Amino acid sequence: MSSFFARVVARPRSWMRAVVGRNRLEAEMEAELACHLEQLTDDLVRAGVAPDEAARRARIALGALTATKEEMRASLGLRWWDEFWADLRYAWRLLRKSPGFTLIAAASLALAIGANTTIFSVAKQLLYERLAVPHAENLRLLAWTGTEDHVAVHHIWGDYDLLPGGRVTSSVFSYPAFEQLRAQNRVLGDLFAFKTTGMNATIRGVAQRVQTEMVSGNYYAELGVQTQLGRPIQPSDDQAGGQSPVAVISDGLWTREFGRATSVIGQTIKLNDISLTIVGVNPKGFTGAKNVQQSPDVFLPMAMQPLVFPHTDSASLLNDTKEWWVNVMGRVRPGVSDATAQSELDGQLGATVRGTMPVRPNEDLPRMDLRDGSRGLFVQKQMFAKPMAVLMTLVGFVLLLACANIANLMLARGSQRQKEMSVRLALGAGRARILRQMLVESLLLAALGGAGGLLAGYLGRNAIPKMTENAWERTEFQVHFDWRVFAFTAGVSILTGLLFGLAPAFAASRAEVSHGLKEAAQTTTRRRKGMSGKALVGFQIAMSTLLVIGAGLFLRTFAGLNSIDVGFRTDHLLLAEVNPPEGQYPPGKDIELHQQLERALAAVPGVESEAPAFGAYISDEINVTDFLPEGVAYDRNKKQGEDYNTVGNRFFETLGIPIVAGRAFGEQDTRSSQKVGIINQSLARSRFPGQNPVGKKFVTSRHDSDGHGGKLAEDWIQIVGVCGDTRYANLRDDPPPQFFLLYVQQKQVESLTYEIRTRMEPAAIVPVLRRVIQQINPDLPLVNVRTQNQQINAAMQQERIFVTLTSGFGLLALALAAVGIYGIMAYSVAQRTNEIGIRLALGAQPAQVRGMILLETTWLAGAGIVAGVAVALLLTRLVKSMLYGIQPYDPLTLSAGVGLLLTVALASSWLPARRAAGVQPMKALRHE
Amino acid sequence: MVQAKQDGQLDLLQGTLDLLILKAVSLGPLHGYGVLLRIQQISGQELVIQQGSLYPALYRLEHQGAIASEWGESENNRRAKYYKLTELGRERLGEETEKWQRMAGVIGVILSATAE
Repeated sequence: MSSFFARVVARPRSWMRAVVGRNRLEAEMEAELACHLEQLTDDLVRAGVAPDEAARRARIALGALTATKEEMRASLGLRWWDEFWADLRYAWRLLRKSPGFTLIAAASLALAIGANTTIFSVAKQLLYERLAVPHAENLRLLAWTGTEDHVAVHHIWGDYDLLPGGRVTSSVFSYPAFEQLRAQNRVLGDLFAFKTTGMNATIRGVAQRVQTEMVSGNYYAELGVQTQLGRPIQPSDDQAGGQSPVAVISDGLWTREFGRATSVIGQTIKLNDISLTIVGVNPKGFTGAKNVQQSPDVFLPMAMQPLVFPHTDSASLLNDTKEWWVNVMGRVRPGVSDATAQSELDGQLGATVRGTMPVRPNEDLPRMDLRDGSRGLFVQKQMFAKPMAVLMTLVGFVLLLACANIANLMLARGSQRQKEMSVRLALGAGRARILRQMLVESLLLAALGGAGGLLAGYLGRNAIPKMTENAWERTEFQVHFDWRVFAFTAGVSILTGLLFGLAPAFAASRAEVSHGLKEAAQTTTRRRKGMSGKALVGFQIAMSTLLVIGAGLFLRTFAGLNSIDVGFRTDHLLLAEVNPPEGQYPPGKDIELHQQLERALAAVPGVESEAPAFGAYISDEINVTDFLPEGVAYDRNKKQGEDYNTVGNRFFETLGIPIVAGRAFGEQDTRSSQKVGIINQSLARSRFPGQNPVGKKFVTSRHDSDGHGGKLAEDWIQIVGVCGDTRYANLRDDPPPQFFLLYVQQKQVESLTYEIRTRMEPAAIVPVLRRVIQQINPDLPLVNVRTQNQQINAAMQQERIFVTLTSGFGLLALALAAVGIYGIMAYSVAQRTNEIGIRLALGAQPAQVRGMILLETTWLAGAGIVAGVAVALLLTRLVKSMLYGIQPYDPLTLSAGVGLLLTVALASSWLPARRAAGVQPMKALRHE
Repeated sequence: MVQAKQDGQLDLLQGTLDLLILKAVSLGPLHGYGVLLRIQQISGQELVIQQGSLYPALYRLEHQGAIASEWGESENNRRAKYYKLTELGRERLGEETEKWQRMAGVIGVILSATAE
């Protein structure tokens, strides 16, 4: 056994020693041979030979020293190593001799590798990263599906998505349903529950908004997560009544607020005005069970919910069977297939729903849908799957383009060196040796590009998360540099370089020496040799066309969105949210608080006007409720809902929304006066066609949200005015019909976003606003402070990222295409110098020659462009939903793209064409 | 001591130099020149060894781990590189000796065959 080991390691060890101690080795060889010579000479002298003669005979006996030493080196396996170094030095000299070629080849490779590494790392992290818990792949998320119209679940706080075929899906359950499922479950590991939500916290005296995760007592045990400090939440913490007010905080919060001090254990923080004792700190990297991007800040036992996060109707959600809100997970049990587990859980869910909630005859039961839970709720899939797919496709094209560029450059270079190869062969170089030298050259170039790509990828890894940040929210989303992704993209590009570097080398090494040496002198006619190069350039042009058209579409989309008139004044408008916790501000009290806040904020110097609103515009939020004009019967089967907003008195004035009929809200509208509303023009048109809506009355929420019963809203709301249309949730959708209510006339409003018109800089006025609010309640944070324009910019984030990246790709593509065209035409002109000389000698005008070269370019570019446009027309249809205001075949974009490509093609062949036209016939014919 | 090739001396058979070096070194550590002397001495000056091929062979054997080297003092106070057999070399010497003897036996039998 040991001898086997010795046998295996002997050679590598000896080789390493030789390579590392090369100088010593050389000296030893010298000394050893000298020693041999001396001993041999001595022996000869002793045998009676004259010293001079002895030395001569000894040298003859030992043979040529250099050859012997070379063989000794070969014995140690050093020959290929030495030759490799020689090749490398030669390659380096060659690359340094043509810095332009080197720079273009290496830089294009570097950019392509860097861009691909970045995009693919982001995609991998967004779409493939799993939760940072042991064996995340075993986690299953419980979810259900039901019909959109008739499922028995009516109150959902959580995800709710439409499926094809009129079905809906959600992953939230009522707490009693979770408890029953957990008790009956035999097909999964112990089920655990969690819910992520935002709360107001006071940490070390500073009021702030934090994300929290309420978790069942077995959460940590089932996930298999240990705290890095203190202890996790245990089943004993999750007893009824919230007897254990404890919290575990995230590594991020620990770092941010406590400077990673171990004394954090035992300190208290306030969540929605309830004090909790910190008992543990989560490990770094753990992000909770909901997502893999960002960890909630505070984890607390589910039993604390009634105290910390009381619900409107019944404070405790823990025994509310109608409200569905908790997420449930469990681990697979060995030997139980997902299908078995799903069907068993489905039966239990049906029984649970029947047992805990009223199910009407026409309603259907939710059906269990067991999902992969290894990535949490995986909401990012819907948001990012398509944009990432588009970006990955585009960046993949860039990689292809760079590979084509490298291939083209290598091919051109290879044919230029045909003669050099022939000379080498003629002088006796082995074909393998020539191949290897070309290989080393390609490798060196690829390594330069790879190193650049590594740098670009490493520096660029956080470029995309940076672009997704907005001004007012903290993000911890960081892309780890992914070695495997880098290895893949680098591998692909390097392989291309090698392949196309070797192809001409192989051809050269097989060439007949005499043929190669004669060839260059005989080039008078066009040869088919340029074909592969031209095909590559054509391919490059096609790819560039595609990328340029793509960039153009996203540019037009961005410009279109940018020039949208949202219907209100967006400048100098500050938005800030206040969320009074329900425990402290029950219905009624919250409205008093907001009135008090409004008075205080309006009095701040610099505030021109302010008004709170339930929904801030262009923030992807929308509020919908029934709108039922007087005299219209409620019909459950007809959609009655309209978008609405609950606002303060001076809302229209603050936002600059014009009142086109009637009046705006005013001081005369109070809690006790006639309830009033304002509708926008679209709603006036759709619900009161041909009538004057002012003075008409309507009710909201005629029925409760079960869709049943006839809870009558006692108060009729009178329309007092009609206002101009505004966009609501986003920029893309046309302004919807909308109506406005006054917040002071509601029973309860909870959170409102204050819209403040001020000419002061946000940085100057926000601290003042915070102070004003803290004077009213020190535990009340002012959150999500941003300007309306920042909010709109954030809404256009995806478009901005797309414009930035696709324009970058497009420019890179154009540059590469230009290099490709220039290269192939310059090469073609150089090859045809003789032919051109003959043409000129026979009377061709220089302009004709120039025209000939330009025409050739036009043909080449035209073919590429046609192919590119054809592929673009096929592919752009797939991104239709991402465009705004234009069709995928937008003629302006298409023609601009084609024009741009043609211009670039002609511009980059101008130089070679001029050179061709300037050829001196005599010189050209003597050329060789 | 070392003379030009004389009549009747044998050229080394292809591939046997390694075996001879191993054998020579197995009798005690030797420097390169010593290996040459010892082989010629044992063979009774019957064998001719190309001195130029001795050192590549020594390096090859050391590279393969069959012998190990160490610098030391030679008999006449010169610094010389001494080679000695390693455990691996000893195993290999055993194997190759056995192989050689079988081969020699077989060839001997074949050559001594007479017509029936």
